[in-house]
Amino acid sequence: MTAPRTAGRRPLPSNASAGDPSAVYLRSLIRSQLRVALVAAGAFGLLLAATAATLAFVPEVRAATVVGIPIVWIVLGGAVYPVVLLVAILFVRSVDRNEEHYRSLAAEEDA
Amino acid sequence: MNPLVGYLSIAVVVLSTVLIGFFGLRISRTTGDFYVASRTVRPWWNASAIGGEYLSAASVLGIAGLILLRGEAALWFPIGYTAGYLMLLLFVAAPLRRSGAYTIPDFTQARLESLPVRRVTSVLVIVIGWFYIVPQLQGAALTVGITTGLPRWIGAVAVALIVGVVVAAGGMRSITFVQAFQFWLKLTALAVPVVALLVVVRGGGLPVEVALPMPAPTGAAEAYQTGSLLLALLLGTMGLPHVLVRFYTNPDGRAARRTTLIVLGLLSVFYLFPTAFGVLGRFFAPDLAASGDADALVLLLPGRLIPGPVGDLLTALVIAGAFGAFLSTSSGLVVSLAGVVSQELLGGSVRGFRLAAIGSALVPLCVALLTEPSGLAGSVGLVFAFTASTLCPVLLLGIWWRGLTARGAIAGMAVGALTCGGAILTAPWVSSGMLAPLLAQPAAWTVPLATAVVVLVSRADRSRVPRGADRFLARLHIPEPVTERTER
Repeated sequence: MTAPRTAGRRPLPSNASAGDPSAVYLRSLIRSQLRVALVAAGAFGLLLAATAATLAFVPEVRAATVVGIPIVWIVLGGAVYPVVLLVAILFVRSVDRNEEHYRSLAAEEDA
Repeated sequence: MNPLVGYLSIAVVVLSTVLIGFFGLRISRTTGDFYVASRTVRPWWNASAIGGEYLSAASVLGIAGLILLRGEAALWFPIGYTAGYLMLLLFVAAPLRRSGAYTIPDFTQARLESLPVRRVTSVLVIVIGWFYIVPQLQGAALTVGITTGLPRWIGAVAVALIVGVVVAAGGMRSITFVQAFQFWLKLTALAVPVVALLVVVRGGGLPVEVALPMPAPTGAAEAYQTGSLLLALLLGTMGLPHVLVRFYTNPDGRAARRTTLIVLGLLSVFYLFPTAFGVLGRFFAPDLAASGDADALVLLLPGRLIPGPVGDLLTALVIAGAFGAFLSTSSGLVVSLAGVVSQELLGGSVRGFRLAAIGSALVPLCVALLTEPSGLAGSVGLVFAFTASTLCPVLLLGIWWRGLTARGAIAGMAVGALTCGGAILTAPWVSSGMLAPLLAQPAAWTVPLATAVVVLVSRADRSRVPRGADRFLARLHIPEPVTERTER
């Protein structure tokens, strides 16, 4: 019961050097969290840009309608939002997993 | 329009806001309560409150008005407002919660160990807050003018007074309840009329195929403007003072992420309705676009399409929703401004907070009364551009890059503020030519410029990287102990 209590938020000692294992774990945690965030943001940005380009440059898509409503309105006015949510859910899952991983490493080192 | 409907509906919203505000007062007593509700607000409450605070006059009235005016191009506004929370989730939600700071100036000071950085950040937060409150008050003026026939300034004065007094009296705990209530009010206020209007339109066999064909966005200038606006909305959300302060009320970093996820869901549902309003407006109220009161579309459409008591009831509902938006966004802003002002100038006491709250409501009121209102969604978009060019680069780099220095942060914020602020101020005088779109939507060049300045100056200033940078980054990114979380 005592080990997990200290496993998570353990402030780095002030003299933490580059070789200190806890500093290495931390750096790798920050790097992997940033990578996940950048990948998610990049994927979302590309998707938006591709959507905008398709709507602007492919006249067939612009002309298409679903039950009388132009597809542009359906995509930009509604279909975009589930995509935002999907990106968000995938992101949260993956950063939570990174944190679990970090915790288990930190706990091992404590033991 | 029947003025009685306007009076009644405004009175009910104001009264319920004040009552819920003071009901909360009984449980908010300490300074900690006043600032961040002692960090015990649950994710669903918190998410509703964030939604309530975020959905301002620009969302409730402005988007529908802009769709009426500009058609398809306006659809990017709600996308940007929603995706701004995605960026917030990706880059700042959990680390900011773990930073343990109350306000953005607290964060920058702790991260960079520098008082001048704190001062610069505080000034920016205050300026941004004031200019975000102004369109809320202008929206209130428009609503009161259109629905009751009273002089427009009365609406702005009423909202500023109510917000100043409620915040000064109740602090943030009561504001959390008020804000959560406001979100559901706004959602109902737009959703019910939209459904009713769609039923009437379908049943009545009104001309549905007339108004949708809209000019496709053409030309590089328009593409640039849309892209630049989107960048401003995506990045600007992270730096908004009233949005950030609410993340400190989450119990831990994970909860901050959960809350943001719920917010994204709430916003995604909400924005379907102003969009639908705008589209309906293009069919049935194209004359409003020419009248200069396009922002009043949401207020007027139900009464036009559904005559009689049902129409009055729906009108009362949208008025309530709109007024809720002005009240909730302004009070959220006033809370965060008052927090910053009182810590900066008045010693951070409860009494200082109260004084600062009153002051934070009165300054924007003067600006709102003295300036000519422009489109609500557009003015809010410019505030986002300014935030994205000043606070956003410093926040992002402060969380993810240990090399950030105080000088770099100050230089970047100054360059961002001068270029973006300068562009916004000069844009009205430059209406044509190559420069016009660059000044009208400056984010696409001011954000990269400010970020580059922060990075380059910090690099040149490498010897002054704060000694505690590593320890602070550790605190931002190391997950909280499991036991602490499960015990709650």
